[in-house]
Amino acid sequence: MRVPVSWLADHVELPPTVDELAEVLTLGGLKVEGVEHPTAGVRGVVVAEVRSVRRMEGSDKLSFVEVTTGDRDYGIVCGASNFAPGDRVPAALPGATLPSRDPASPEPVRIGAKTLFGTTSNGMLASARELGVGDDHRGIWVLDGDAPLGADLAEWLGLDDAVLDLELTPDRGYALSMWGIARDLHALTGAALRLPAEPHAAPALPDGFGVELTDPRRSPRFVLTTVEGVAWGPSPAWLQRRLAAAGMRPIANLVDATNYGMLETGQPTHAYDAARVAGDRLVVRDARPGETLVTLDDVERRLDPDDVVIADAEGAAGLAGVMGGARTEVGATTTTVLLEGASWDAPSVNRTARRHGLRSEASARFEKVVPDALCAEASDHIAALLVRIAGGRATARTDHHPAPRPRPTITLRPARAARRLGLDLSAARQAELLEAIGCAVDADGGAAAVRPPAYRPDLQIEEDLYEEIARVHGYDLIPETLPSTGQVGGRTPQDTARRAVRTALAGAGWTEVLVFPFIATEDLSALGLAGDDRRRRPVALLNPLSKEEAVLRTTLLPGLLRTVAKNVNRQTPDVAVFEVGHVFLPPTAEEPGADSRQEGAVLPAEPTFLGLAAAGAFAPERWDAPARAVDLGDVLGAVDLVARTVRLPGLAVEPTDQRPFHPGRAARLLLDGVALGTVGELHPKVAAAFGLPPRTLAGELRLDPLVAEGIRPPAPVPPSALPSLRIDVAVVVDAAVPAARVEAAVRAGAGDRLTELRLFDVYTGPSVGEGRRSLAYRLRLDDPRRQLTDDDAHTVIEAVATAVAAQVDGTLRR
Amino acid sequence: MTDVDLDAVVADGLAAVAAAPDLDALDTAVGGLFGRRGAVSAVQRSLGRLDEAARRERGRAVNDARARLQTAIAERRAVLEDQRDRVVLAAEAVDVTLPPRTPRRGSLHPITETVEALVDVFAGLGYTALSGPEAESEWFNFTALNLPRDHPARSEEDTIYLEPLTPGGPAWSTLLRTSTSPMQVRTMLATPPPLHVVVPGRVFRQDTPDATHTPVFHQIEGLSVDTDISMADLRGTLAAVARAVLGPATRIRLLPDHFPFTEPSCQVEAWDGTRWLELLGAGMVHPTVLEAGGYDPEAVGGFAFGIGIERVAMLRYGIDDLRLFSDNDLRFLAAF
Repeated sequence: MRVPVSWLADHVELPPTVDELAEVLTLGGLKVEGVEHPTAGVRGVVVAEVRSVRRMEGSDKLSFVEVTTGDRDYGIVCGASNFAPGDRVPAALPGATLPSRDPASPEPVRIGAKTLFGTTSNGMLASARELGVGDDHRGIWVLDGDAPLGADLAEWLGLDDAVLDLELTPDRGYALSMWGIARDLHALTGAALRLPAEPHAAPALPDGFGVELTDPRRSPRFVLTTVEGVAWGPSPAWLQRRLAAAGMRPIANLVDATNYGMLETGQPTHAYDAARVAGDRLVVRDARPGETLVTLDDVERRLDPDDVVIADAEGAAGLAGVMGGARTEVGATTTTVLLEGASWDAPSVNRTARRHGLRSEASARFEKVVPDALCAEASDHIAALLVRIAGGRATARTDHHPAPRPRPTITLRPARAARRLGLDLSAARQAELLEAIGCAVDADGGAAAVRPPAYRPDLQIEEDLYEEIARVHGYDLIPETLPSTGQVGGRTPQDTARRAVRTALAGAGWTEVLVFPFIATEDLSALGLAGDDRRRRPVALLNPLSKEEAVLRTTLLPGLLRTVAKNVNRQTPDVAVFEVGHVFLPPTAEEPGADSRQEGAVLPAEPTFLGLAAAGAFAPERWDAPARAVDLGDVLGAVDLVARTVRLPGLAVEPTDQRPFHPGRAARLLLDGVALGTVGELHPKVAAAFGLPPRTLAGELRLDPLVAEGIRPPAPVPPSALPSLRIDVAVVVDAAVPAARVEAAVRAGAGDRLTELRLFDVYTGPSVGEGRRSLAYRLRLDDPRRQLTDDDAHTVIEAVATAVAAQVDGTLRR
Repeated sequence: MTDVDLDAVVADGLAAVAAAPDLDALDTAVGGLFGRRGAVSAVQRSLGRLDEAARRERGRAVNDARARLQTAIAERRAVLEDQRDRVVLAAEAVDVTLPPRTPRRGSLHPITETVEALVDVFAGLGYTALSGPEAESEWFNFTALNLPRDHPARSEEDTIYLEPLTPGGPAWSTLLRTSTSPMQVRTMLATPPPLHVVVPGRVFRQDTPDATHTPVFHQIEGLSVDTDISMADLRGTLAAVARAVLGPATRIRLLPDHFPFTEPSCQVEAWDGTRWLELLGAGMVHPTVLEAGGYDPEAVGGFAFGIGIERVAMLRYGIDDLRLFSDNDLRFLAAF
């Protein structure tokens, strides 16, 4: 809402400065987003009268215009031709300035004398746009016939006026009008109001044109005023200036009067040309199936039976609360106007405006409830304005009010209000604050009966009154108190564990990323996931942000792979990233979605996954060492770190040949026999499909089971005071036996006294035989009860030999 | 040999030790004194031929001589070792300004970093941190939060809807949550009052990304319900949090605002030294929302707020383009 300050000043006493006014309104909930001075650059422009107009030789566009300011004549060259001798026009004389229209250089533009085709032009005649009054540049701005000759235009029209740009919350529909803002200013500062007297006295006019309302719930009130003898023409300059400053385009008096009246009162009205209305009545009814209407913007609209129309004998003539029809529009030949001031059901107007993509100034107001009482009061006010600027007189007035909407009486408990607000306000003070916005307060001991004023249909429940009490008193006077929650609070054990996991990964060289969860179904085939994989059934979006990424991720991989590719393309070749986030899977009995509390609405399962992806070097080249490319060990190491961070002994690892991974370089991870996920080198085809460098690694695993018990408590063992026994064993096995199985066999053989085990060498070569390999382990054994001897060492080695022979068909190298 | 001049042995020995130019020469000199054929050893051997009284006297003199020589040897050895060390260690010098072998380090995302900072503050105030689903039902996201059926936020221009998961399921009934507020109701339904929780999470709107808009962003929801929670408590809590997160001198102000799920409602702004910046929306929980959560609005009341994480992160880190948070460029993320 744009508010020319001079217009507001017509209705209420203002604070001394515009800054103070802006501050009061902002603190009062009518937020001033900006203050503009659209016409402030106009200096030295005077009202002049055209004496003669003569074509210039050598030009087919320019004329030489002689004007007078009363005491002096000027010759001005002009490119427009929309005026005639006798017209009064704005003349920017040499030395005058006009507002800059270039935001980059806000300094006003200086006008001088210049020579065109050998003729001196003493200044220029200005269009409305050149003066900062709206955007009309079709010709010179022809002023009122009685504009004071020679007067300074800026002074005459108040062009130094400031314009406030208000950002209003949807509950404050009343503030979409000068009257409403004036009332709030009165409430907030106590400033004197200058509004029409209340209650409104309707003029004594006979009933006029017929009106029929078929559904009072959708059209609670309908006032139709007949104004005869009007003449179409431009509005006075002051009105055009204010309309333009408020952001509406001046058109002609019959249209401008309704727009100006709407901005002033908050009541949208519509003017019909009586001569173009067919039949003897206007009928408000639901649109008929297949019915069409050409609206004022010359668009033919196919109406929906849920739309409410105002119809005459020929059919729909207007879309209720949204826009009038072209067929009955006022125009140059109009002499009698039917002025409609109605109230409409707000949700209906909202639906119609949205259905037709037609958000008008009128619908913006009706969507927020325009009170019934305003229809009549504003209709009369606007009819009077119409007569003032277009002549004629109001001759008849039809007022249908079949279903007055009830105004609530709200019980206010002042003690509760004070407690909820944390403001020590007496019942009397609360009543005073509510009366300032026009409430009638009937105090009766503890509670008060509060009847909000007609202009505040937003006030419905007791808590609405609390807000008004606090607002008028001043939100800024609410003190700061810090309550005790009386509880310890903190993170859940699972959240603590997730945080520890993320921190550990970041500390170990992995960068956390957050990727939008939208993917393409094609991404899932590019990953090569099997057709029956649950991840191939993503949740689709009804209205996705982009057609390309129209489903929710069932895996973190596409987003992570794209992140790697993007960074590599931006010349960051060494990438190691992780993400912790939800994926969205079709719910199953074992893994349901959240309870929707809504019949038939099924929510997807949302497990939390940890995803990893890496490419390039994990250890970049250094002055003392070459680069080391990232490999499966780095990714498995990250997974191992995660497990150890929550103090799990580590995850079981087994080979897998499933896509999207390299069939020989991927590992499935299991916790207590349940698969949590897979990590590995990407299959070359998958890497190519995502535009990734060869040997990119990735993987993901379910985080929820890992953190289900939070970070587990540590299980410390006091170290033995006696010397340890250290033994090296080298196990020769078939090269295809996984190391994990060999290690398990060595552990089993070494027994309970084993405290450390490290694989320190893997060897293949002629000395171990074709198709076999040697795995060398360094063991540490401790027994706190006695010193271990060489005999113990022999026993352990024999036990290991027996175990590897039995479990992995291996032998010890001796 | 009997009358070897002990004094001469000592004097020669001391001279040889003092003259030794390096540790090898010193070892040779020591051999000349205490070795099998050394001068001192020779004197030692000669003692056996003396009578007891003379032997005792002569033995004492030999011991004194030995001690003097050994002291001189130790002192000379220390000097020569220092000399040797100086040379050897000087040759081992390295350039300590070469890049060190720092362990590889990653980083946490600025958004989760900011979430954790906020959760830490709220944990200190006694709030429990929870998380909730990102896909929601229309009921939790809108109806339970008192948004009327025709509220524009429900439109497909504002909200991202999901296709029904069951064939023939009701359309436009599941969606990506537009705020973390649905968790207010989920939490109330699961827990009796009093309740003091924060819920960080990701939220979604139909929006085209630019410097100040993003379709995917983060909020932290706060909900405090008890018998006597006031708007002053809301203000005090948010002031404390703003000071903890944005600096101890931070000032906040409340402006009237409107949200369907709070009444009264407010906008909270923070003073950055030159202007007031919008920080978050908050208010006293609307009675309809309390009822949707199964609470009795006559018995309890409370406040709720939703802090935009991106906004706080922008203020904390001096960033003015939202897209940096979702771009995941490692050159940007490396700073955190």
